[in-house]
Amino acid sequence: MKKILATFAIVLCFVGTALAQDELSFERKQAIDSLALEKVRDLSKYIKIAGSKDTPFSEANRVIDRAEELFMSDAEIGVSSLSSNQITYYRVRKYFEHLMRLNYDRVEIEWYNIEYVSDLQRQPDGTYVGVITIFQTFRGYDAEGNLVYKDTTKKDITVYVKRKETQIGGRTIGFWDVLLGDMRVKETTNR
Amino acid sequence: MRIIRNIFILVLTIAIVWPVTGQTIGDFKMDETELYAMTKQMGQFMRRFNYEEDQFGERLNPSDPRYHNAEMRRQSLPILFDQEKYGTQTELQRYFIEDVTKGDSTFMTFLGGRWYSEVSCTFKYNGKPVNVMLFLTVEKEGLGSKWVITNVYFSEFNKLFPTGEIAEKEKYFLHPMSHELDFMNIYKAFQNSDVIEYYGSKNYQPDYLTLFFYEIKQGHLVFQHVDTVKFHVLQIKDWYFEVSWFNRSGLNSGWLMSNVIYMPEKDKKNLIKFYEP
Repeated sequence: MKKILATFAIVLCFVGTALAQDELSFERKQAIDSLALEKVRDLSKYIKIAGSKDTPFSEANRVIDRAEELFMSDAEIGVSSLSSNQITYYRVRKYFEHLMRLNYDRVEIEWYNIEYVSDLQRQPDGTYVGVITIFQTFRGYDAEGNLVYKDTTKKDITVYVKRKETQIGGRTIGFWDVLLGDMRVKETTNR
Repeated sequence: MRIIRNIFILVLTIAIVWPVTGQTIGDFKMDETELYAMTKQMGQFMRRFNYEEDQFGERLNPSDPRYHNAEMRRQSLPILFDQEKYGTQTELQRYFIEDVTKGDSTFMTFLGGRWYSEVSCTFKYNGKPVNVMLFLTVEKEGLGSKWVITNVYFSEFNKLFPTGEIAEKEKYFLHPMSHELDFMNIYKAFQNSDVIEYYGSKNYQPDYLTLFFYEIKQGHLVFQHVDTVKFHVLQIKDWYFEVSWFNRSGLNSGWLMSNVIYMPEKDKKNLIKFYEP
C-alpha cells in the first residue's frame, strides 16, 4: 500500500499541475518513460521471484497478484521459440503459473541492463501507447547441477499511458496512469 | 583484402557507436554489446535512421545539436543495412547514405504515410493451411492513429482473376445495341464463370480485400497465426526499401534494411497502388 501511495506521489510530482494536453513535451515524455520503466522493472522482479525454486508457494502467489495489478485486465502474453514461430498465448496468471511449473531443480533468471523505450503514439481514443523492450536469460539445471536448458528472450511489453484526474483537497489534479498491456516474448539466437 | 578492410571498418564503426558493456551473473558473463547494437524495434530503426537517439539508445532532445545531425547519420546509417547482403561499403549503400543525408535530407516519420507492414500469416482455407499476406498502414483516426488492413495477397484469389490474353478477352462482350433487345443476350455472360469479369469495364479491378472479408465472414478462411512481419518503406524521396527482422548473433541484427532500390517518385505509384489500392 505504501508503495502504491509512493508511486502515486511520484506520478503527481512528475506531472505537477499539468492539465490535459495533446502533445507531450520532451521532458514530459521522459517522465512518463520513467514511470513505465518502473512498472517493467517491477514485472522483471516478480518474474524472477515467481520463477525461483526457492520461493515458497504462498509468496509466489502473492507476487503473481502484484504482477496482475501491473497489467490491463485483458492483457495477454504471446510466447514463441526459435523452433516455432507459432505463438502460445497466456493470461498473466497462467504465464506465471507456467513459469512456476517448469521442471527444473534450479533456475536462473536474469535481466540484461537494457531497456529500450519506444516513442508514445496516441490511439484513436487518445490513450498513449508505447512498447518497452527488455531481454532475459533463463537457465534450467537438473538435480546434479547440470545446465539442461538455456535461452535468451526478447520481451516487448505494451505500455498504456492515460491522462486521469483525481480530487485532492478539493482541487482537481491531473496525473498519468500507466498500465502494462500485451507482452510478446520471442526467443533470440542464443548468445 | 577488400572484405577484410570492410569488416575492419564495420567493427570499428560499431565499437565507436556502441559501448561494450557486460555484467557477471553466477558463472555467466552477459555481454550486452550485441543487444545494444541490435535494432530492437521498428521505432528504433526510425530513430537511428533519423539520428534521434544517441549511441546508448537514449532519446535526443530536438534542441540537442546531435539531433538529425548529418555527420552522425552518415556514421550510423551503415549499421541499419543487412551487412550480409550489402557488406559495409557497397556503391549502393554509399549512394543511399549520401543522398538521404545531403542538404534537403529526408527523415522517416511514424505518421508520414507511405510505409506499409507486410504480415505473412497462416490461415485455414476450407480446412487446409494456406499462406495469406496482409498489408497494413497507419491511418489517423480520432485523437490518434491505428493500423488498418489495406490489401491482401492470397494466391487462390489471384487464380480467380487471371490476367487473360487481350485476344481472348475480345471474344467476350455485349454488343452496343443489346439494350434494344432487352439484353436478351446477357445470359451468355453467365454461362462461363471463368470469364465473367471480361464483361466488366476495362477499369474494373478485383477488390481482393472485399473477397478476403467475405471469405472470413463465410467461415471459409480461418486465421491461424502470424509467421513473419516486414515493412515496405516508400517515404524517403526517390528510394524504396524493405525492413526485415534478423534474429542472429553479432553486431548486425534486429530490424535492418533488407532490400534497397533507387526508385524515382513517379515509379512508386504502382507499388503504392498494390499496397493500398
